[in-house]
Amino acid sequence: MHDGSGRIAVHDLTKQFGPVAAVQNLSFTVEPGTVTGFLGPNGAGKTTTLRMLLGLVTPTAGTATINGRPHAQLGNPGRVVGAVLENEGFHPKRTARNHLRVYAAAIGVPDQRVEEVLNLVGLSTAGDRKAGGFSLGMRQRLALATALLGDPQVLVLDEPANGLDPEGIAWLRTFLRSYASQGRTVLVSSHLLSEVEQTIDQVVIISAGMTRYYGPLEQLRASQRSRVLVQPADANALVTALQGAGVTQVEPTQDGRVAVTGATVQQIGDIAAKASLAVYGMEEEKADLEKLFFQLTSPQYGATAPPAYGQQPPGGFGGGYPGGQGGYPQQQPYQGAQQQYQTPPGGYQQAGQQQGWGGPQ
Amino acid sequence: MGRLIKAEIRKTLSTKSWWGLMIPAVVFSFLFAMIWGFIVGDINDYLGGSDARELASLMGVELGNLPVGLLALGHGVNIGTLFPVIFGVYALAGEYAKKTITTTFLTAPNRGAALTAKMITYIGWGAVYGIIIVGSASLGTLLTVDEVGMPSASQWMAVLGGGILATILATLFGIGVGAVWKSVVGATITLTIWMLIVENVLVFAAFGWLEVRWLGGVLPNGTLNGIVGAIGAEAFGAAGVTVPGDLNEDLQWLLQFTAGAPGAFSWWAAALIFFAWTMAFFLSGWAANKRRDIT
Repeated sequence: MHDGSGRIAVHDLTKQFGPVAAVQNLSFTVEPGTVTGFLGPNGAGKTTTLRMLLGLVTPTAGTATINGRPHAQLGNPGRVVGAVLENEGFHPKRTARNHLRVYAAAIGVPDQRVEEVLNLVGLSTAGDRKAGGFSLGMRQRLALATALLGDPQVLVLDEPANGLDPEGIAWLRTFLRSYASQGRTVLVSSHLLSEVEQTIDQVVIISAGMTRYYGPLEQLRASQRSRVLVQPADANALVTALQGAGVTQVEPTQDGRVAVTGATVQQIGDIAAKASLAVYGMEEEKADLEKLFFQLTSPQYGATAPPAYGQQPPGGFGGGYPGGQGGYPQQQPYQGAQQQYQTPPGGYQQAGQQQGWGGPQ
Repeated sequence: MGRLIKAEIRKTLSTKSWWGLMIPAVVFSFLFAMIWGFIVGDINDYLGGSDARELASLMGVELGNLPVGLLALGHGVNIGTLFPVIFGVYALAGEYAKKTITTTFLTAPNRGAALTAKMITYIGWGAVYGIIIVGSASLGTLLTVDEVGMPSASQWMAVLGGGILATILATLFGIGVGAVWKSVVGATITLTIWMLIVENVLVFAAFGWLEVRWLGGVLPNGTLNGIVGAIGAEAFGAAGVTVPGDLNEDLQWLLQFTAGAPGAFSWWAAALIFFAWTMAFFLSGWAANKRRDIT
């Protein structure tokens, strides 16, 4: 029997569909009491991973367990894990209530539970309508109702926000947060970080079938640093002034501005004023999570990316990102950004050299 | 297992296919039994005539009071068995088509349990179809066949038993084909054309050109029909019993054909061979479904 821990453990999971490696050596754990976001672009292998976890797809190698067991050994799986999957099927001629009654019988919960979950997802008035006439949002709600029938300890959702209106998404957020706060486990996939950013506390980011980041969202968030884009009359003079004032993280941008990290607009303004330099404009730019996410997942499309990301998914489970490399999320992603700034496709380096700053001149 | 069977029963009762397919099963069984009832009534009248009686007595068959009603029953039941086959196709291939198979597998302890529950439930449904189909065919027979041509009570019970066995196997056969093929439309159309046309043409062609008489006794539709059809054929000495003298082999085949079971060896041989067909599809479908990736 399963251990009742509520822990999801994916270990070296690999799935090969013919010549296509959908998932490669994926490893992560999801702890009870948290909402974990499972993020990656479309085609990254999220759905395949979730389906392997749920016993619908047989892994080529590795294991995916819930409560220490593969899905087929959970006993009555509907009581342990509920799943909302993409493209989930409903018989179009079967009413929502009858659909739920079928699976309530299979899980072995009383029919009363059908009414409860219909209420919970706000479908009680539509219960006698046929699922074939449902909107995408209603189908998502019905899928969630089905997942909740067995009052499971673990909830797995694949792109649940698809088709939901903003109100529905807000409701889902609150629901998932409260579900996790009861000590249960929630794993929710999305291809948009912004969609789940406010819901999740842990995040697993995959791309091209491999783990790119795995750890607390806070840690990823901490690596966000804003920079200020300054449009000076004389860039070289400004850089010299800034460096003289101890502001050393200065880079040129493609459009000829100066990107300054580690100083506020006021500080830069003061430095420029002290050096009697004209500044035509300043703009604060947030290197937001979304950008970070894009950088982490971009290798899938063959774009330049810091090599470090693809190389090693964290080895340790349960402890978030290994502490010994704590600097990684803070520094690496932005370094990656710097690399991109330094070697853009448009021959930018030449421009930089012409202007002559940043070099030892 | 009880939970999953309950779920399967709810699954079938909450959609229309179970009665949507039962209506044509009832109508066709009834009509075919009536049509054949009219035809065999005439045959019996003819066979009762002196010439034929003399001819037949040479072959050791007592004519004029043969239970020709069995022929009507046999044809009524035979056409009816097509519908539990289609019903069986819906059972699993339908779940793939509507993608409900995902939830079915997610809520069952394992795939084997889900498939076992389906099999047990559909054995029950097959029996229900059998009773309904034999009932309609019996009604058609009663309305058209004279008292003299009526089968005995024990023959009728044999038809009921054979009919139920045939429809149960027919349902499982449909599940098996659907499990292998996974397409409701493809499997339904192919099976219908095969059972109504292709196999009959093959059996006729084999008989007419190659003088192969046993083909209908081994192919799926022939053996399925043979379960009930052979009961009638046996009553005429055309199958399963040693015929006094030697009933001309071609005449024997024609009599079997008339009974709806050309080439049938005996009802139980037909049942066994059709059971083998059922198992061949069912087990390969089972194996495929235990491993298949649900994407």
